[in-house]
Amino acid sequence: MSTVATGQASGRYARLMTSLLRGTLRLDVLVNKLYPTDFNPLYYTGGLSNLFLFTLVLSGIFLFFYYDASLGESFASVQYLTDRVPYGGIVRGVHRYAADGFIVGILLHLLRNWFTDRHLFARDNPWISGMFLLLFAGFIGFTGYQLVWDERAQLLTSMFVAMLRSIPAAGAALTRLFIGGVGISDGTLVRILFLHIGPATALYVFLWWHYVRQRHPKIWPPGVWVLFCVGLVFLLAGAVPVTRETIPAATPAASPTRFPMDVFFLIPFWLLNFLPAGVVVLLLVALFVGGLAIPYASRRETPVEMGVRHSGVAQVIDGNCTGCELCYYDCPYNAIVMVPSPGPGLSKAAANRSLLAVVIESRCVECGICIGACPFEALELPKFLERDVLRQVGEAVQA
Amino acid sequence: MRSIYVVGIVVLSGLSLLFAVGIIYGEATDQWFLGGGFVGALLIAYSFIVLLLRQVGLIGPRKTER
Repeated sequence: MSTVATGQASGRYARLMTSLLRGTLRLDVLVNKLYPTDFNPLYYTGGLSNLFLFTLVLSGIFLFFYYDASLGESFASVQYLTDRVPYGGIVRGVHRYAADGFIVGILLHLLRNWFTDRHLFARDNPWISGMFLLLFAGFIGFTGYQLVWDERAQLLTSMFVAMLRSIPAAGAALTRLFIGGVGISDGTLVRILFLHIGPATALYVFLWWHYVRQRHPKIWPPGVWVLFCVGLVFLLAGAVPVTRETIPAATPAASPTRFPMDVFFLIPFWLLNFLPAGVVVLLLVALFVGGLAIPYASRRETPVEMGVRHSGVAQVIDGNCTGCELCYYDCPYNAIVMVPSPGPGLSKAAANRSLLAVVIESRCVECGICIGACPFEALELPKFLERDVLRQVGEAVQA
Repeated sequence: MRSIYVVGIVVLSGLSLLFAVGIIYGEATDQWFLGGGFVGALLIAYSFIVLLLRQVGLIGPRKTER
């Protein structure tokens, strides 16, 4: 009898992950009652993040044309853009709120894939690249606040320098590298501008890495969500303009001690109220490294502990395979290859085959898509046999 | 249910027209934040119209889901 029917996840971590998986699937069912399944936004959290990133790039290009990276002119150039350029304030607001949307999208995507075990086995590649995307997105958002060069930017810069200096051995060098000398100068703003745009460009490299092993990534949400999300950032930009935060320009004489908070990008700086800079740096490094380790920490679960969350690597039933290539084209992870058939299959349909499907175990993520793709019952997940699924469906219908 | 969706589409279409007038008003009076906000409201209204059109069955579903 298979684990599907009888197995219960054991171990505290496994029980937690199983309950999170069930909770996520219940949420899917709930949202599917509100939206048609192909419009369910929970299926497009990655695509929504990509949409916000695209919005950020377009609005950022517009803002870049008006920005003057110097201590004396940066604040004035942002003010000019906001107040004098037609719809400049709107574009600035769109850039600001799309950044929030980007982070929210990434976090939803991360949690969903974590809770549904899509970070395990061969899927560690998108998880690792996703952690880098999150790290870079957070850093780009922070440098965006600095570019305005108001009193908040001034205070953020001094706090960031304190964090850099707290790093043992490399602190002084990193600080010099960041501010471009012994004190803040025009060169600092140029460096901050580079640290805003350079990592933003790198995001697309990480996206390539994110998608590289996937055959059919959903990189764009349905049109209805494109309209809604772009509409939402425009509506927020108009209804809650960025100019509501009247922060004066940074001056050498100013010594600001407070600034309006942004929960998505400035949390580490809020922590500096309670913790020394070195501890905050250590905490951020630990969070990032811990995030990278999640797929490998989870692998310590044995298949028995994983219970219903473990199906086993897909296996080809040689006698039934017709070499039709449907599974090969449907596998999102390139885990199935077609090889010349060493001989005919056993079934009538497979008698004249010329190809045979072979599963590459290291790439298989046990998703079961190939099972649905195969019309000849030539593929099975060993712990999720079709007959067991059919029996469970039958029992559920009778109940 | 279908008639409710149709009413929703009509109401949202009317609202969209108002938002479009708002965009023109914002542009004419140089109130760019107002105009930009109405652009957002218009797009959101369009998104709900598309959703209701889908619920009515006038658009979609995707070929693979038929």
